[in-house]
Amino acid sequence: MQQPRDIPVLSVENLAISYETRRGDVRAVRDVSFEIQRGEAHSIVGESGCGKSTVAFGIVNFLGRNGKIVGGRILFQGRDLVGHSQEELRKLRGDRIAMVYQDPMQALNPSMRIGDQMAEVLIVHRGMSKEDARDRCIHMLEQVHMPDPANVMRRYPHQLSGGQQQRVVIAMALLNDPALLIMDEPTTALDVTVEATVLDLVAELQTKFDTAIMYISHNLGVVARVSDNVGVMYAGELVERATVANVYLRPGHPYTLGLMHCVPRLGMDKADSFLYPIRGRVPSPSNLPPGCVFEPRCDFGRPICRQKCPELREVEPAHWARCHFAEQVLAGELELSPDLVPDLEGLARRGDGAETVLSVEHARTYYEAPSKQLIGGEKQYVKAVDDVSVAARKGQTLGIVGESGCGKSTLVKTVIGLETPTGGDLEFMGMDISMPVSKRDLDLIKDMQMVFQNPDSTLNPSFSVGSQIGRPLRRFKTVPRNQVRAEVIRLLSMMRLGENYYDRLPRQLSGGEKQRVGIARAIAGRPELVLCDEPVSALDVSVQAAVLNLLLEVQKEMGTTMAFIAHDLSVVRFFCDTIAVMYLGQIVEFGPAEAIYAPPYHPYTEALLSAVPIPDPRMEQKHIRLSGAVPSALNPPSGCRFHTRCPRRHLLPDGGKICELEVPPWRHATDEHRIFCHIPLEDLRKMDKVVTIEEETHAG
Amino acid sequence: MLVKDYMTRHPSMAEPSMSVVDAQRYMWENGIRHLPVVGDGKRLVGLVTRQTLLVDPGRLGSLDVWEISRYLSGLALKDVMIKARDVITAEQDTAIEEAARVMVENRIGCLPVVEEDIVIGIISDTDLLTQLMEMMATRVPGVRVTIRMPDVKGELGKLVGAISAQGWGILACGGVPAPKQPETWEAVVKIRDVPRDDVVAVLAQVEGQEIVDVREI
Repeated sequence: MQQPRDIPVLSVENLAISYETRRGDVRAVRDVSFEIQRGEAHSIVGESGCGKSTVAFGIVNFLGRNGKIVGGRILFQGRDLVGHSQEELRKLRGDRIAMVYQDPMQALNPSMRIGDQMAEVLIVHRGMSKEDARDRCIHMLEQVHMPDPANVMRRYPHQLSGGQQQRVVIAMALLNDPALLIMDEPTTALDVTVEATVLDLVAELQTKFDTAIMYISHNLGVVARVSDNVGVMYAGELVERATVANVYLRPGHPYTLGLMHCVPRLGMDKADSFLYPIRGRVPSPSNLPPGCVFEPRCDFGRPICRQKCPELREVEPAHWARCHFAEQVLAGELELSPDLVPDLEGLARRGDGAETVLSVEHARTYYEAPSKQLIGGEKQYVKAVDDVSVAARKGQTLGIVGESGCGKSTLVKTVIGLETPTGGDLEFMGMDISMPVSKRDLDLIKDMQMVFQNPDSTLNPSFSVGSQIGRPLRRFKTVPRNQVRAEVIRLLSMMRLGENYYDRLPRQLSGGEKQRVGIARAIAGRPELVLCDEPVSALDVSVQAAVLNLLLEVQKEMGTTMAFIAHDLSVVRFFCDTIAVMYLGQIVEFGPAEAIYAPPYHPYTEALLSAVPIPDPRMEQKHIRLSGAVPSALNPPSGCRFHTRCPRRHLLPDGGKICELEVPPWRHATDEHRIFCHIPLEDLRKMDKVVTIEEETHAG
Repeated sequence: MLVKDYMTRHPSMAEPSMSVVDAQRYMWENGIRHLPVVGDGKRLVGLVTRQTLLVDPGRLGSLDVWEISRYLSGLALKDVMIKARDVITAEQDTAIEEAARVMVENRIGCLPVVEEDIVIGIISDTDLLTQLMEMMATRVPGVRVTIRMPDVKGELGKLVGAISAQGWGILACGGVPAPKQPETWEAVVKIRDVPRDDVVAVLAQVEGQEIVDVREI
């Protein structure tokens, strides 16, 4: 409706920000320009350490004592924010810029009730009376779709779930009706299903309040869903800026092109597509290459790239890229080099009829919860894993997906012996493994190893890489003592790490390198089964691809069986042969990967698929949102545990009364594919596909 | 069709201490005609328009060039703005025609939209013209017909009936008392996807009404 006569809400021109350090100034952000119109959502996307947050902090003048803006202008509604004192800025900006951070717990005061914290904003800034402020807060909580807002107002932050906390923070940010809302990774800490509802909310608020949104994220899928325009940042520079469709489908910078090819898209399978990792790592801002900052990692590097830093230039209308050869990249004339793509011929295929390595039947793992009564009272149990049956075949990968708190990790810990099962049969290569790791013999331990989510906390900071990888070799006597060093170096080179890494300490490695050391250590004893608990979720996307490729190579070369936990459904689909979908301690769907991603779906799988953010603007997703959070495992819902949130209950007679009363049956769609639901298979089959893609094969 | 649907949210605003010279340049550079002046928490304290920034020539006559610049440099918005108590405002649930009436009667070009003294938007004459434009479906092609009819109940119904009997869609429709013609009304309708001649043929049949103007837009 509005004419383009409007001045941009935010216009950043040639912004440069430096941090003072003892070794001189570090130029963290250089030459960043973009603008955001009223009611527009503009994303800044990039890997960690590329300066996204620094730009945001620069805008709100929150750089800390050693940060300073050294050049450029930041115009907020046409008025320059640079070079004013705090007090002047406060007046100039007023309460018209608000910010939402990644961790909602940091923005909320844990010792104050939600209602008091929110009302404080209005009472202090606007001098509202307590009653008016309260009414307004309740109204605002309704706007962000908070269930039962009056009740929430009386609670403390820790009594809310992560998604609810983030809603409170967003509501607080909107209380002053800001013209510009800066969101710094607001959904990164949330589950996919919760993330989807928060993203819906962001889109809704943008139209309802005409708020300009600057959205910072590392997740390409999230960015594709929320924003109109995208700026891609790399090593402190904006390397590309255009509309979402252009950036995703016709990238004009090799880095963007690389990013698009290193994340698996939903539907990609390791059998027919590859991930192209980006080699190397983001340069440190204190040690930048002389020419183009991306040149050392670029597949198309030419001599000129090393000498001359390219300008951000408009390669086609409304599409800027910082590359000497942007036109060729745009035209798709340059191909990514296949150097880093592993040759996966000979990787075990499902249906090879391989023997079952791991079989878990009716496994139960309960944690004892203290009784609420002081004396006596019945013992209560948290049923973290309740009657779970899965199996993994030799050389193949079992994927386990589900929201946080659904028991994925407990299941894996039970298998490896870090938790003792309460009941059920767990067998590994014909041996009973229902005892804790301390009672297992060395061979069993050797054959089952684990890769953890956070490589920082699993590597001992005071031992060198070599000795940490060497330890299982010595302990399991995999190789004779005098060959340990050679074997470690072989493992390192398998992980594409040179011999010079042998003597390094973990703190000298990047996140991706640490994870590779973690993998090297896990495979050192040549185990039969490797359990990976979210091995890539703590890593940047460009590194993720490399680690996933490495795992595939390991699997191919050693025929290792893997169990792979992840919350990212695209990664799981790409990586796994068989997938188990877990909800509240139970498996709700189990089957071959491609069967899970096509009807018939379990209603929960359907909802998960519709929530997963896809980095492709052409993909159409059905809009299914789950209400509420995962119920407590201490007191799970009766009958089907999913009935409290199930969006498909109405398909059954009586509005799904049976779901509350009876435990659902296993329905076998095929021999290998089973669904735990009351809804008959014929009805489940009739459902539409959640994700529809315009026909095209990528990256093959 | 309420003010909240057509107002500009998050308008550019200024603080009372902003110097007149800065404000002048800010408004000029960004094409702003009306600048609400707000205190803490976006509370309305005044309004600056381009007229307010004009300095009374009678006053300047007595000053020399050097005096003028000294006089101007010391001037802040709070000295020249229309004070809040004299600013006419609208609320977001005000009907759009009501806002228009207030603006016409007071011969002013904008109304800050407030909610308990807090500025939440601004509605200007341009916004009202935009609304008029949208009401007449200016951007969609169609046949625009002006018809004169007696000021009798049911006449517009006859016209609409004739159009819908053909199965045509009305893009826009408006009626006003005919200028300088007592007891007659003029109605404007815009019809989509029909040839002009068909429209004329059908509407000429409507009893007691007269086609004043037909054009394709």
